[in-house]
Amino acid sequence: MPDATAVAALNPSDRLRRMLRDPLLLSILIILWALLFLFIAYPLVSLLVRTFTDEGKLSLAGVLSILGDPVQRQALWNSLLLGGLVGLCGTVLGFLFAFTAVRTNLSKGWVLFLDAAIILPLISPPFTTAIAMIFSFGPRGLITYDLLGISGFSIYGLHSTLFSETITFFPIAYLTLKAILSGIDPTVEDMAFSLGSSRWRVFRTVTLPLTVPGIANAFLLLFAASLADFATPLILAGNSFPILPTQAYLQITGLFDLKGGAVLSFVLLVPAFAVFLLQRFWVGRKYYVTITGKVGARTEIKSVPPWMRCVLLVVCLLISASILYFYALLFYASIVKAFGADFTITWRHYHVVFSEGLQAIRDTLIIAGIGMPLGGIYSVVVGYLVCKKEFISRQTMEIVSMINYSLPGTIVGIAYLLVFNDPPIMLTGTAIIIIACYVFRYGPTGIRTTVAILQQIDPSIEEASFSLGASSGTTFRRVTLPLILPAFFAGLGVVFIRSMTAISATIFLISINWTLITVRILEKMTELELGVAAAFSILVVLIVFIVIGAISLFLRLFRQPGAPDMANILGG
Amino acid sequence: MRRWGLCFVPVLLLALFLTAGAAPAQQTLNAYSIWPENWARPMFTEFEKATGIKVNFIRFSSGEALARIIAEKNNPRVDVLFGGPVETHIAGIKEDVFEPYKPPAFAELAPRFRDSQAYWVGIADDPLVFMSNNKFLKEKGLTPPTSWNDLLNPAYKGMIQMADARTSGTAVTRIFSIIEVNGRDENKAFDYMKKLRQNVQVYTKSGGGGTIPVGLAQAGAGIFFIVDVLKTRQEGYDVAISFPKEGIGTSVEAIALLKGAKNAAVGKKLIDWAASPAMQNFYASYKINFIPAHPKVKTEASLAEIIKGAKIFPIDEEWAGQNRKRIVDRWIKEVLP
Repeated sequence: MPDATAVAALNPSDRLRRMLRDPLLLSILIILWALLFLFIAYPLVSLLVRTFTDEGKLSLAGVLSILGDPVQRQALWNSLLLGGLVGLCGTVLGFLFAFTAVRTNLSKGWVLFLDAAIILPLISPPFTTAIAMIFSFGPRGLITYDLLGISGFSIYGLHSTLFSETITFFPIAYLTLKAILSGIDPTVEDMAFSLGSSRWRVFRTVTLPLTVPGIANAFLLLFAASLADFATPLILAGNSFPILPTQAYLQITGLFDLKGGAVLSFVLLVPAFAVFLLQRFWVGRKYYVTITGKVGARTEIKSVPPWMRCVLLVVCLLISASILYFYALLFYASIVKAFGADFTITWRHYHVVFSEGLQAIRDTLIIAGIGMPLGGIYSVVVGYLVCKKEFISRQTMEIVSMINYSLPGTIVGIAYLLVFNDPPIMLTGTAIIIIACYVFRYGPTGIRTTVAILQQIDPSIEEASFSLGASSGTTFRRVTLPLILPAFFAGLGVVFIRSMTAISATIFLISINWTLITVRILEKMTELELGVAAAFSILVVLIVFIVIGAISLFLRLFRQPGAPDMANILGG
Repeated sequence: MRRWGLCFVPVLLLALFLTAGAAPAQQTLNAYSIWPENWARPMFTEFEKATGIKVNFIRFSSGEALARIIAEKNNPRVDVLFGGPVETHIAGIKEDVFEPYKPPAFAELAPRFRDSQAYWVGIADDPLVFMSNNKFLKEKGLTPPTSWNDLLNPAYKGMIQMADARTSGTAVTRIFSIIEVNGRDENKAFDYMKKLRQNVQVYTKSGGGGTIPVGLAQAGAGIFFIVDVLKTRQEGYDVAISFPKEGIGTSVEAIALLKGAKNAAVGKKLIDWAASPAMQNFYASYKINFIPAHPKVKTEASLAEIIKGAKIFPIDEEWAGQNRKRIVDRWIKEVLP
């Protein structure tokens, strides 16, 4: 079968005939659409109906009163500003790290250290950076007060929210860009060098343009992550910098105003979708093939002078060190009696974790364990279909699959709770509802990775397989599948990490039968037992580190030569 | 073939888990608790010892618990809403999520600890207090605040934390206290709150959210419920407790039966037990610093010592219920920005 772009010109009836001739594709499509409808469209539409009707009649009064409120308009503007800034800073930081890791001939040990430090924020439960920030930069913070002697430093507002979110989310940009940068064959740069270009010119005219899709992708992911994040602003934004996800959460849980909360969340859909469409139709058109199947021997990278290498390395090390500092602080808080008051070392908090916390640990691991393979399969199948197959509803599928990712978690959680509590489909109180939430909310990360990897694969590799007489199935299994295996693990890894760390949606989905570690962390924080909360967070970080390490090792053992490894793709 | 196999995995797992939510056969009861788990759990363990009924529960903040109950209205997942400031329960009555029930102790309770239509019953009393950090006070040369006006002192600028009225019952009780000490002159009360705003560092999401920052001296002082304050002290933080001489409000902690509860009969047994001295006698032994609601239960000695001489008045719940939305809206518009 030729590449998707080649068949785009087919008219609908031909496409339909083609679909009917491929029963495998057709049945997968039917299953997928059923699932997408059930877990994305149905909850969202039900919530929309509830939001925009009043006793069976269409009513816009609620919507207009929310939109007319200057505080909410300010919140929208603030959200966009924050998202844009986080996207910008995070992408710059991510590019810096990725470039250093890939283009400066670092030894394996250094790359491993950078990877390990950077991955920490990505695998941390909510609130951890925010809390470490308050410990360090509050009016009596370890850094602001004890070290620098500044008293009365104001920690609440745009600056610290931006800092905390950038630190939390830039690993996504790093991992996305690292995959792209390491995919660029240095021989491409060599060609420019041999034609007499300077290093700067090569960077500007060869390396940078080749990474533009990655940069745009990273920006989109960061912007969306910031738009959907409510935990960090809840703690750090203070009262003079309201943002929409937090406002929506407060509207629902504080004022018991489900409609108002839903309206605020739907407002968020607009910017999230605008960026998505921009990425889809602007960046998506720039099509770069770097895995050509004709790769020669890799040559040494010459694009960075030695002094530049030192500068880059020092900057990266400083940032990594500050991340490690946050986690050292967290660990310290978990082993002292009461941080800030009684610094006696104690294992008491871990004792609590492994006694009353056991049910949460067990439940979380079961849910993450089941969600993992499902998330991997879901992201690869959808990614492959929307990128490589031509079928009716292809674009709709791509857009629908992104919806739960771009919506704030609170609204997804509430929507699930509302529709799956009543007949015909009663899922509240089960593990399925939590697993489904994770798969359909975090699967899109894997889908995007699949698409990004597939776009880098030259169609001629698949064409070669066809012309040698292999069927569509064989080609997929023998050629495409090994190439997109990393994407499968990306989808799987992200769903696992999120199952261990996400809170905004699932706080509404946990039940008496199934609870989660992250909810316990929030609970312990409201119970004012910071030590136990810190101990739980450390446990989460350890579990995720071990599992991701195991997957990464497994992937390294079995991957095809030339395929990017686990750490490279987790974030993308 | 392998691809077909992959497609079946999710289907099989889904089928497996559809059956996983089935309830066990023994006599159990489901509850949402607004009390933190380390207080709710010992109470429910004692209840099981006394009656043999096991309570499955999960803890939520008051706003989250009520949002869930409203969302689950047509098919309630729990039988009882346990604990939480009564204004949560009052908000629930308007949403028609509770079932009236009069436990045997109902008649013995003071009128402010029971709803006239028996939609909720009080199980404890929880006054607000001022909490300040001793280190902060010493550095600024201050004594613990003993008047609402003390908090307006510029020495506190940017150093007071208290709860956000959009999410916290603590905040609503605080605002009604301020209105009450100003003789229900709302304009005067709002003028005071706007002045106080200058000294507020941040309004926190949960009622006790500011206690650790005050404990750590990240903030100098705050207004919290006494249970949260005493908990902070028990954790080892060096904080002072004081009361304003003009008086401060207290809020009832309540329990309610859900409409359409699947285990209504056992739910009622829990309410019977919780509203009676049977449960409230345990407050002291488990160091839960609530003041018991039942007149026959004695307040624990050290807690009684702290509140001795303090001017504490109940919030007029009926008036508060009628005016809550208007006043919170005004607070959001005038004080918060």
